[in-house]
Amino acid sequence: MNLGNLKFFYAFSCFCLGLLLLSPTLAIIIKLPEPERFSQIWILGSDHTTENYPYNVRANEAYRVYVNVRNHMGGLEYYMVYVKFRNQTEPLPNATARIASPLPPLYEYRFLLEHGQSFEAPLTFSFRGISFFNGYCFVENVTVNDLEFGIDKLVLWNVNSTSYESQFFFELWMFNAESRTFEYQNMFVTMWLNMTG
Amino acid sequence: MVNPKVSTCFFLSFLMISFFIQGCSAIDQSVADESLVNAENVLASAYVAVAEAENAGVNISEFLVRLEVAGKLLADANNTYRIGDYDKAYLYAINCSDTVSRIVFEALILKSEAEELYSRNLFLAGAFSSFSLSVLLVLGLFGWRFFKNRYLKRVLGMKPEVRKS
Repeated sequence: MNLGNLKFFYAFSCFCLGLLLLSPTLAIIIKLPEPERFSQIWILGSDHTTENYPYNVRANEAYRVYVNVRNHMGGLEYYMVYVKFRNQTEPLPNATARIASPLPPLYEYRFLLEHGQSFEAPLTFSFRGISFFNGYCFVENVTVNDLEFGIDKLVLWNVNSTSYESQFFFELWMFNAESRTFEYQNMFVTMWLNMTG
Repeated sequence: MVNPKVSTCFFLSFLMISFFIQGCSAIDQSVADESLVNAENVLASAYVAVAEAENAGVNISEFLVRLEVAGKLLADANNTYRIGDYDKAYLYAINCSDTVSRIVFEALILKSEAEELYSRNLFLAGAFSSFSLSVLLVLGLFGWRFFKNRYLKRVLGMKPEVRKS
């Protein structure tokens, strides 16, 4: 080994040792790049699977699904899920404009989740006062988790699906700590129902 | 066979009791509104305080339990308000406010403690690194002189090798 090589080897060893001595400070100061942040919302059927979703519904019969939300935002988040009900002509959220549906919510869930945590809550619903006339179906009341809401919704006969289709949909909102308001996350899930009597 | 007088009397009593109970317990919509707005603000402040405490490194599991309860109560308050049950909405909202009323204060204390700990750790780590790097620099220079001298002494002490041509 010549003197030049020895000098390089010595300087490199000192540099590595210096990094080792700096590591406690670097560990406190340096923040590692964060993974992608996102939230998830989904609904499960009555047996906690992606099967057995209610579709053909009758008056005064109770049906159950489960609303699920998962937090991958990297920290504690404050969520709200709005449960809304619509017929075929009423608007869903606008995914392009990232705007929630203007329909008023029937029911809401509020919960806080740490990173990696999930929320699951049952949604038990039933309808009352379903009447049919001339290709229309009129629904007076819906009960969600033991609370009865008057909806007075007119559902049209859908020729294509040969059904009186209406829809529950679930919008995910998240609290923004800076603006101190809930913001729609441009995420929603839907569940079609056919009024059968 | 029930006596008609008794049944009429019973019916009238029932009507009167219903009327007075309603009169005693009815919460005005504006009062319910106010309690809901207040609960909303209190919960929002509590959430912000706890989220900041979490960022500062505080273990928030105890706060989270109370926040979850308060969130459920506020949702119940809003849901009962939507069906026009202002009494229940008011009660749920008041319960919500009570559940998280002290969280902001407690979270702020823990957050300042965590920030203090962070500053102290950073100072200690910085002081250790600075001191040890200074020592390394000084020892490194002396060490290099030592190694260089040893290397040169060894090289100069070598005898030239004679090769046959």
